[in-house]
Amino acid sequence: MLKHSTTSTAEFKQDQAPAETVSVLLDGEKVDLPKGISIAAGLLSIGEIISRISPSAHKPRSPHCLMGVCYECLMEIDGVERQACMTDPEEGMVINRHLDSKGEDA
Amino acid sequence: MSRHYDVIVIGTGPAGLSAATLLTKMGLNVLALDEQQRPGGQIYRNVEGAGEARLNLFGPDYSVGLELVNEFRAANVNYEGGASVWQVEADGRICYSKDGKSSRISANYIIAATGAMERPVPIEGWTLPGVMGAGAANNLAKEAGLTPKGKVVLAGSGPLLLLEASILLKKGVEIAAILETTDLIPPADSVTKLPQALMGWKLLYKGTTMLWELQKAGIPHYRGVRNIRALGADALSGVEATVKGETLNFDADLLLLHFGVIPNTHIFRQAGCQMVWDEKLRYWYPSCDSWGRTNFEKIFAAGDGCRVHGAVAARHKGTLAALEIACCLGMIPESERDDLAEPVLKALRQDNLPRPFIDAMYAPKPSHFTFENETVLCRCENVTVGDVRKVLDEGVRELNEVKIITRCGMGPCQGRMCGPALAEIVGEYLSLEPDQAGLLVVRPPLKPIPLSEVAAMDLGDGGTDGGNWLLDKK
Ligand SMILES: Cc1cc2nc3c(=O)[nH]c(=O)nc-3n(C[C@H](O)[C@H](O)[C@H](O)COP(=O)(O)OP(=O)(O)OC[C@H]3O[C@@H](n4cnc5c(N)ncnc54)[C@H](O)[C@@H]3O)c2cc1C
Ligand code: FES
Repeated sequence: MLKHSTTSTAEFKQDQAPAETVSVLLDGEKVDLPKGISIAAGLLSIGEIISRISPSAHKPRSPHCLMGVCYECLMEIDGVERQACMTDPEEGMVINRHLDSKGEDA
Repeated sequence: MSRHYDVIVIGTGPAGLSAATLLTKMGLNVLALDEQQRPGGQIYRNVEGAGEARLNLFGPDYSVGLELVNEFRAANVNYEGGASVWQVEADGRICYSKDGKSSRISANYIIAATGAMERPVPIEGWTLPGVMGAGAANNLAKEAGLTPKGKVVLAGSGPLLLLEASILLKKGVEIAAILETTDLIPPADSVTKLPQALMGWKLLYKGTTMLWELQKAGIPHYRGVRNIRALGADALSGVEATVKGETLNFDADLLLLHFGVIPNTHIFRQAGCQMVWDEKLRYWYPSCDSWGRTNFEKIFAAGDGCRVHGAVAARHKGTLAALEIACCLGMIPESERDDLAEPVLKALRQDNLPRPFIDAMYAPKPSHFTFENETVLCRCENVTVGDVRKVLDEGVRELNEVKIITRCGMGPCQGRMCGPALAEIVGEYLSLEPDQAGLLVVRPPLKPIPLSEVAAMDLGDGGTDGGNWLLDKK
């Protein structure tokens, strides 16, 4: 598990182990995410609650709405800023949250 | 190449599903688009992938969704998931993005069934990781079978807050407290609406059972709560609130906020639809006739997007819009439209019986909100309540002016998360109703998409208005 999420104690567990997973590169490390659920949900299921560093407040945020409204789950997915709660993971995807940045527009 | 359809349905919740299925069955060429990857909308989210345990947990109200989605699949509607609509034009054209590619297409009629969202109410600390919408936890449970670990506090108001609490309880989650802003004593007008509500007793029965179960489980449950604060430095550690002047403190790993549900109106506002302010429920909705037709001939509204009436009503409203459009396109005569609509209207009336009672019980009151200067109002641009009050002190009097000066509402969410509270704050300051303070203008693209994607878009033969189509025509 990655270290970034240690600032928050909020965690979710998946009721059932995922039937299938896909491997993605998350902030440069290989992780397996459940297939068939959004990237945001998948990340929460492996303890990754931080979705991004707010570019204006320079502070960590977690997904807030999980329905496409708040844009707190914006992360760089295959080179484009996308809503992780509206995107499914695919094998080999490259996801960057730029958590070590100070939240400047990446 | 531009594509043309008889009808484009935006959103595949109960309203969009019923409309798209009926119109396709009638032989029309229909396209249903939804930004979610799977049909079902908010309430029936991922119902196809739920499995028996999840269907049991969410009960029959959720399983109904499976029938709707199965019918939709069986009717073979043209359907695209993961498709985000970012522009709607009154003449029946839309732009949407899917898989990093945008397209501009057209239809004789558009049904916008974009549903509802939780009313965002900023509280101190709500940007801390670990503070989420209660709807988010609901969505995670439905979509992905996720359950929170650790201590959970639920705060806010409305039946969905209690629904979420009862689901968490069933899943064995440790609920540290339920903090309701709803008044201790029910408002007088709710009592006068009770007899009518009892005629739609099923819903009330469900609500009472829920309350009883929460009480039986001994969960601390407070009403008339004020000044809710999320505490913590880098992440949530606790929640503070006051009840009758007394300060309460709870340890918490997760705070779920819910202050009721409001129509998701960005599409209507961007298209330039006439908007109406509901004084009681304190939200905007698009003005439309009983079929859902807005002030634009070609644009229909269906479901919770045109006033929040719940999933059953949403389905009926979808059917009504479909019947009227089928009639306009000459598929059925007016008499048949009316015959088919009659039982639907009746069911809609029946379903609406308890609504005035629930609305009176849970109607948001300005006195429930305490906006403090330090609180972040605009999450995207980090604008505080105090920043807004400062420009009001300087003489600014209109929402869009506040937006330009403070950047409140200018981030990627386009005011979805701050707009309603901004209106309350400006209204309170000026002693006006929020509608008199203005409504934030929504510009295309409705959803941020890379400029390169817009540039690469094929305008096809739909592009008669040259290069200025991206500009707001208002
Ligand atoms: C978070 C949340 C949870 C809820 N949970 C419950 C519950 O558990 N029980 C209950 O009784 N009621 C619940 N409700 C209320 C319930 O959502 C509605 O009564 C019902 O779903 C309304 O149906 P609808 O078809 O109008 O819209 P929805 O079901 O909301 O469907 C609207 C669809 O439109 C899509 N959409 C929106 N904008 C765009 C766009 N620009 N481009 C493409 N697609 C778009 C959305 O992705 C969504 O799938 C919930 C509401 C919310 C906001
Ligand atoms: S979590 Fe709100 S938009 Fe994705």
